Amino acid sequence: MAGKEAKLPGTYLKGDEMYKLPGLVEHRPEAKYSFAAGQAVSRFLEGLKEGRILGKRCPRCGRVYVPPRSYCEYCFAPTGEWVEVSGEGEVNTAVVSYISTFRERLEEPEIVGVIRLYAPGYTGKEDEYEFPGLFHKLCGVTPEDVMSGRVIGMKVRPRWKPVERRIGSITDIECFEPAEG
Amino acid sequence: MVVARPNIHVKNRVAIVGAGLTLFRRRMLETPRELAWEAARMALEQAGLTLRDIDCVVIGSAPDAFDGVHMKGEYLADGAGGLGRPTVRVYVGGGTGVFVPIAAWWHVASGLCRSVLAVAEEKMSPAHPHPQGVFAYIWDPILERPLGPNLIWIFALEMRRYMYKCNVDKKTIAKVSVKNKRNALDHPAAQAAANITVEDVLKSEVLVWPVQRLDISPVSDGAGALVMVSENEARRVTDSPVWVEGVGWTLDNTHWYNRDLAYPRYVNYAARMAYKMAGIERPWKEIDVAEPYDPFDYKELHHIEGLMLARRCEAPKLLEEGWFERDGELPTSPSGGLLGVGNPIAAAGIMKVAEIFWQLRYEAGARQVKKPVHKGVAQAWGDLMQAGTVIVLGN
Amino acid sequence: MAWSMWWREPRRTYRFPGKMEVEKYVYTPGLHGLEAARALKEEGKFLGTRCGDTIYYPPTTLCPDYTEGELAEVKGPWRITAYTVVRETLEGERLEKPLVIAHIAPDDAVGGLIHYVDASPDEVYIGMEVEPVLKPKEERRGNPVLDITHFKPRRPETEE
Repeated sequence: MAGKEAKLPGTYLKGDEMYKLPGLVEHRPEAKYSFAAGQAVSRFLEGLKEGRILGKRCPRCGRVYVPPRSYCEYCFAPTGEWVEVSGEGEVNTAVVSYISTFRERLEEPEIVGVIRLYAPGYTGKEDEYEFPGLFHKLCGVTPEDVMSGRVIGMKVRPRWKPVERRIGSITDIECFEPAEG
Repeated sequence: MVVARPNIHVKNRVAIVGAGLTLFRRRMLETPRELAWEAARMALEQAGLTLRDIDCVVIGSAPDAFDGVHMKGEYLADGAGGLGRPTVRVYVGGGTGVFVPIAAWWHVASGLCRSVLAVAEEKMSPAHPHPQGVFAYIWDPILERPLGPNLIWIFALEMRRYMYKCNVDKKTIAKVSVKNKRNALDHPAAQAAANITVEDVLKSEVLVWPVQRLDISPVSDGAGALVMVSENEARRVTDSPVWVEGVGWTLDNTHWYNRDLAYPRYVNYAARMAYKMAGIERPWKEIDVAEPYDPFDYKELHHIEGLMLARRCEAPKLLEEGWFERDGELPTSPSGGLLGVGNPIAAAGIMKVAEIFWQLRYEAGARQVKKPVHKGVAQAWGDLMQAGTVIVLGN
Repeated sequence: MAWSMWWREPRRTYRFPGKMEVEKYVYTPGLHGLEAARALKEEGKFLGTRCGDTIYYPPTTLCPDYTEGELAEVKGPWRITAYTVVRETLEGERLEKPLVIAHIAPDDAVGGLIHYVDASPDEVYIGMEVEPVLKPKEERRGNPVLDITHFKPRRPETEE
């Protein structure tokens, strides 16, 4: 029925054809939002302001959540205790971005990655499916490090913004950089 | 996470008896409801039914923010044939396209409806300057968006992790793009069909290394539809019904950076649910043709492994051996996939199910795979590496 | 590994602003919509979709029985089927002249549109006959709402 010879419905508009159509309607959305971080993440953000990375531990299964959640998604119980992690960890994956959010070409490529954080209960096992960790920028590494794979497994730690410039945001950490030694 | 234990004692067996598609293109004249209507009308025509024969309607469409129309299900209702009928819209991001026939399945399997029109539509071209802006809203507003992410980042991170864990290079992954774009040359809806080489992929613009321009499927407008009926109805209207033998779906959490992206757990769990229902124990042997979701080339390999059609990290090797070609042992994306046919999100998923339907009826023309086919699987993935939707069909 | 046992609620809930990052949406008129837009722009005519004996306006392309309809001209006369009177702006400021907004349906079609009526709240009534006032041809873009500046009551003297 839908072999190559089938003639399918649909009217393609090439290039700028669409913009010349009579009856075209345009609308500019003016939607503005205000997102609440919630209790657990707000405390986490306050921690960042103080230069600390906080997580929460499930009293039932012992999982450590960084970033923190108010509840354990497996036990469906409230997470109790706050846990501070050192901020050190290993790069789990990393990429080199040559484009901005809106797909403009960047002059300087940006390196971002997932950092698996050392935390109480951290097994060090590479094949752990879940782990406390953050998504952030990486600095002090080159695109070549990413492409060669050297960066994966690299030990890193947060580079903090100066105290006076911290506002309680994930960007209070400037980036994660290689930890010497 | 635990694998769902499906209750397989359903009231009605469910068959697909018709499929329809519009062209997939970057921008189309039709309004979203006209696209839905065109695809649904074609599906009804193939089934030899009219709208009067339809009891219920299931609609699928990805974020409202692409079409720029809120309450998409309600908006599409008349075009999708839902006027005055029990009609519902389902949504699980990119997984929606395969979730629509899954939802249609439970409408019929439960005995509630005898015949369902399952319609998926997507029109991404209204969003300006580029649909990319809409994707910015999938990121967490507190912990992710302040870093200024681009949608491609998350795919690149997953691809990089997969390359690292499975020791695959970009050259191998590029072969998926080459295969699918070539397969699409035989697809009447195709938007991005082409004869390209691995070098073309590797020379295309680097967006977020390791992702390059030709690793990605295009944004599209388009619609697709299926007619799904109970066994009695199916026997009445056709000699060659295609049975829905198993369905499965799973959601993981949105904390994608707290998980190892190298393996799609959510797809695997959905697949195991569907196989269990279908009585399939060795999918790598029992499945004859597959349509794994391929918005990016590496994702096809990733999903082949999640679907247990290859062992972990084995898909790249089998790809190199020609295993997944149309004349191979286990053809994947014989349609041309999203990379070749196009990616109008929800419609792309239903296009994959339609392809398995046509393959199992030996109606795919030049796209028909060489080996005899009895069972096929179609799968879609969605959201922040978290939704898996799987459907197993048999003839 | 530094363990910390202190428990404290956050001092405040942090909030982050967001803005819809879509510059604009561009909506295509669709199959019959395009023809209707052309007819309105070029000829000042209104087109609907005919399905059997019924014309639907605005044009729907498809009929309730799922077949494709035919384009057909909608001639009116147009009548108010429901109306409301707006006396304040969104910001709550009193309008100098109250605004009459009505649902207006043509006698020869099913459907209609919402538009302004240039009439005082005292004289407007359900069933009142009105007629569209179009923009001059060179200003028309085929937009089924904006190409009409308003509807005006059809008074006996204009009825020939």
